[in-house]
Amino acid sequence: LKLLVSWLRDFADVRLPVADLASTLSMCGFEVASIESVGTGLQACEDAVIDFEITANRPDCLSVSGLAREAATACRVPLVLPWADASGSPASGAPAAAPTAMRIAGERVTVSIDDPDLCPRYAAAVAEVKVGPSPDWLANRLLAAGVRPISNIVDVTNYVLLEIGHPLHAFDLERLDGRQLCARRARPGERLRTLDGEVRALDPEMLVIADHTTAQAVAGVMGGAASEVWSGTRIIALESAYFKPASVRRTSKRLGLKSEASTRFERGADINVPVTALERACSLLEQIGAGRRVGAPIDVYPAPRGPIDITLRRERIAWLLGVGVDDGEVVRILTGLGFGPIEAAGGWRVRVPTRRVDVQREADLVEEVARHFGYDRVPSHFPPLRAVSPRPDPRMARKSLARHVLTSAGFSEAVSYTFIDPADAAPFADAGEPPVPLAYPLSENFAVLRPSLLPGLVEGVARNRRHQVRDVRLFEVGACFSPSDGERRRVAFALTGAGVMEHWGGGMRPADFFDAKGVVERLGEAFGLALSFTEAGPPCLVPGRAATVAAGATPVGVVGLLVPSESGRRGLPPDDEIYVAELDLDAIDRMAQTADTQARALPRFPSIVRDISVVVDERLRSEQVRATIQRVAPGTLVGLREFDRYQGQGIPEGRYSLSLRLTFRASDRTLTDADVQAAMEPIMEALVREHRAVQR
Amino acid sequence: MPDAAEIERLRAQFQAALAGAATEPGLREVRDRYLARKGGVIASLMKAVAGAEPADRPALGQLANQFKHEIEEALEARRAALGAGRPTAGAVDITLPGRQAPLGHLHPLTHVRQQIESIFGRMGYELLEGPEIEDDYHNFEALNMPPEHPARDMQDTFFLGRPVPQRGLGTPGTRTSTRPAPPDRPATLLRTHTSAMQIRYMEAHEPPVRIVAIGKVFRRDNPDLTHTPMFHQFEGLLVDDGVTFADLKGTLTAFVREIFAPDTTVMFRPSFFPYTEPSAEMFIGCVFCGSKGCPVCKRTGWLEILGSGMVHPSVLEAVGYDAERYSGFAFGTGIERVAMLKYGVDDIRLFYENDLRFLEQFSF
Repeated sequence: LKLLVSWLRDFADVRLPVADLASTLSMCGFEVASIESVGTGLQACEDAVIDFEITANRPDCLSVSGLAREAATACRVPLVLPWADASGSPASGAPAAAPTAMRIAGERVTVSIDDPDLCPRYAAAVAEVKVGPSPDWLANRLLAAGVRPISNIVDVTNYVLLEIGHPLHAFDLERLDGRQLCARRARPGERLRTLDGEVRALDPEMLVIADHTTAQAVAGVMGGAASEVWSGTRIIALESAYFKPASVRRTSKRLGLKSEASTRFERGADINVPVTALERACSLLEQIGAGRRVGAPIDVYPAPRGPIDITLRRERIAWLLGVGVDDGEVVRILTGLGFGPIEAAGGWRVRVPTRRVDVQREADLVEEVARHFGYDRVPSHFPPLRAVSPRPDPRMARKSLARHVLTSAGFSEAVSYTFIDPADAAPFADAGEPPVPLAYPLSENFAVLRPSLLPGLVEGVARNRRHQVRDVRLFEVGACFSPSDGERRRVAFALTGAGVMEHWGGGMRPADFFDAKGVVERLGEAFGLALSFTEAGPPCLVPGRAATVAAGATPVGVVGLLVPSESGRRGLPPDDEIYVAELDLDAIDRMAQTADTQARALPRFPSIVRDISVVVDERLRSEQVRATIQRVAPGTLVGLREFDRYQGQGIPEGRYSLSLRLTFRASDRTLTDADVQAAMEPIMEALVREHRAVQR
Repeated sequence: MPDAAEIERLRAQFQAALAGAATEPGLREVRDRYLARKGGVIASLMKAVAGAEPADRPALGQLANQFKHEIEEALEARRAALGAGRPTAGAVDITLPGRQAPLGHLHPLTHVRQQIESIFGRMGYELLEGPEIEDDYHNFEALNMPPEHPARDMQDTFFLGRPVPQRGLGTPGTRTSTRPAPPDRPATLLRTHTSAMQIRYMEAHEPPVRIVAIGKVFRRDNPDLTHTPMFHQFEGLLVDDGVTFADLKGTLTAFVREIFAPDTTVMFRPSFFPYTEPSAEMFIGCVFCGSKGCPVCKRTGWLEILGSGMVHPSVLEAVGYDAERYSGFAFGTGIERVAMLKYGVDDIRLFYENDLRFLEQFSF
């Protein structure tokens, strides 16, 4: 809200310099966006426009008088308004007393409410007018507040909107069929050209103001073009109503149409101010010679609402704030803000004016006191700790462990968007499960929830490659989504470039499958899981260089070489090999080892090492060789490790040589060569028998 | 016959030869020329001295010997000078770069997160994570934002194209749950704030509650220097007997003085959040200009850092707490905001580009 300071000073004799007034109101909760000086040096009084950002709970302060009330309270000066304040008065008289119709020039003007659930009150005044420009003082005030002057009639409605905060709308009465104003739901298929020239399709959930035949305004949002005040308008009907906030908000959103009126109605107007606003508008019309009211205002208000009373207990102020506030100050603040505190046992009964839609219970009143008492006067204190906090969630600790293992393996941590391009997601989605779509994405780039962390990581690799970074290792820990399983936590990584980094001492080699597999094995070790690898992978990985990772019988992830089409799609050369892996942390959480490590005694006797090399069929997996050895070896075999694999010259076509290092040790004695020889014989026999192995 | 002048001449010749020997082989050649047993300059000199007049012999002999010593010393000194700095056997050039075991960098947001967790961990808070997809009830309704509440505009929401099951995996703090689990509702939106976790936690626990939850949140903002449609928040909640606004001020002041500097100045200003009453925005003295006023703080000297307030009684009631007995405070802010202030990052999008040139600036 753009506040012209001199306008505020009409209502409160605040003598602070502009900057101090801005900061005072800011400390009461009204954020200052900017301050702009206005006027010339000739003016005796400094004037300025302060632009406030009014929070959604304070529609009453979307007005000069609302902010004047706050300023008057903060500066301890009286608030003087040129109209009677009905907001704090009890629900007045018999509603039937007010007329719902009147006559002008022999014609009957009627106002009715068909849908009181959406329109609890509708008041209107009729005036004979002469349309023309507004006087300078009025036009200048509107301009200062950022409102374009249009004509004296429209300008007066806008002036009252800014001053009191209540939206008014002027209809050209003679353009209303049957001289009727009826608040009713729109009819199916009903359309209306609004003041901005757009034709709006209405639905029966929307409230309209209609004449005898058609809708003439979208209630609380915008008037219609057909009944707009124009230069030839002679008689106007001024609308001053109260519309249900949720309904206005819904209509405004549905139509994609926001206005000064809708902003106020959807936050909550003052149901008891409409007639005050009409009277203020009519007196202004007369004051500037724009028109003359005819008859008394019409007021349809079937179920009048009065202010509510809330009990404010003295001790609750200190209970919530941590500091007591003097009774005198409590009363001064509440009274200044327009509340009516009445001394009661233990505190006050506080009458809440209907403009204060945000104040509904005791805590709200405490906030009012605190705002004007000053947050800076509340002391700083440290709450006592009465209990030890619970143990940290092991799932979070496991994520930290994954981060630790992966950074130790040279991977830097990535954070990617949760929503991605469907084209990026598709190759990584679980079979037959399209990714979860967003209803109204910002763009196609952000249209679906990621089914996997890999698209983001691959994009990260590609971005770095495009910036001439050759060796890239990235990982991410985060949530992925599928339509049937919902949210899943995963950890994933991607690497490309060197497996062993370049160094002046040599030893560099490109990354391969086993670099990726080794990292997965390390993660398994960290989680206390024995992982197994089987030759099968999702379609995003190259067959033959991909594996499914399982813990026991449960698949927990994948590892392998990304298909070249995925790197090619991101502009990388086809020979760029990107290895990736992804593990399901939720599955791992259910199986991971949580017991403390139990340390084993160190061996007391020396071990003996034997190396063997066998030539076997290339279709034989090393895992099978290892399994055979472990099955027939005695318990003294404590270590078994492949240390070479060779295929080529000297080895028959279709076979390869595998070298293994076996370590034997007994826990109760020093083994002899003879013991080891006795162990090796059945091992070799089994390899020959079962795998047609030939010892080299 | 040799005489003193002849020796003087030889000395001058030697000095010139020595000066011209810049390498070890060159030096060896000079040495051979002068000191060789056969045909060396000195050997010839000695022979000539031996053949001199007996009367001159002692003096000449002394001069010749002195000259020989000079040559030996000069050659040795020269050799030592030429050889200086040569490695001894097995020595390496220790100035070559070391062979570094690969070590990755943690994301700057993780660094900030770890600091936040450490600070609140020491204050006795339980650290939690929750689901990123939520239902309307937990994200809005239970937080005092019924349908069509205008405050929903403050957090423009991403809705899912279709409801997705919540498997309860994301429910924070279920391990320590003391209350029956609320029914799972299908998720319909991406959470707009971590406050949704407050509700899930309180539904599952009786007071006292002292939690900090961290995670991703989502709002419909097009990416620019200071906005992204996804960012990270941390959210704290304390509910107990006798918790006051003064406790809120003390706790948050302690927090910012740990995460920023010990002499950080703070200011609390009234604000509005539907789920707190009273609500407060916390400001810190501008870290860029020392509160003098600069473009970053819009010349105010203050930077907004946290939203906070006393938990709204309606929120306590929504989870079945006795709002007459218990009070509490809640607070939250963007991790990116803290990271940008701490590390001087001026473009929030850098956090999601996964550019190693950015990530490698931060520690491990």
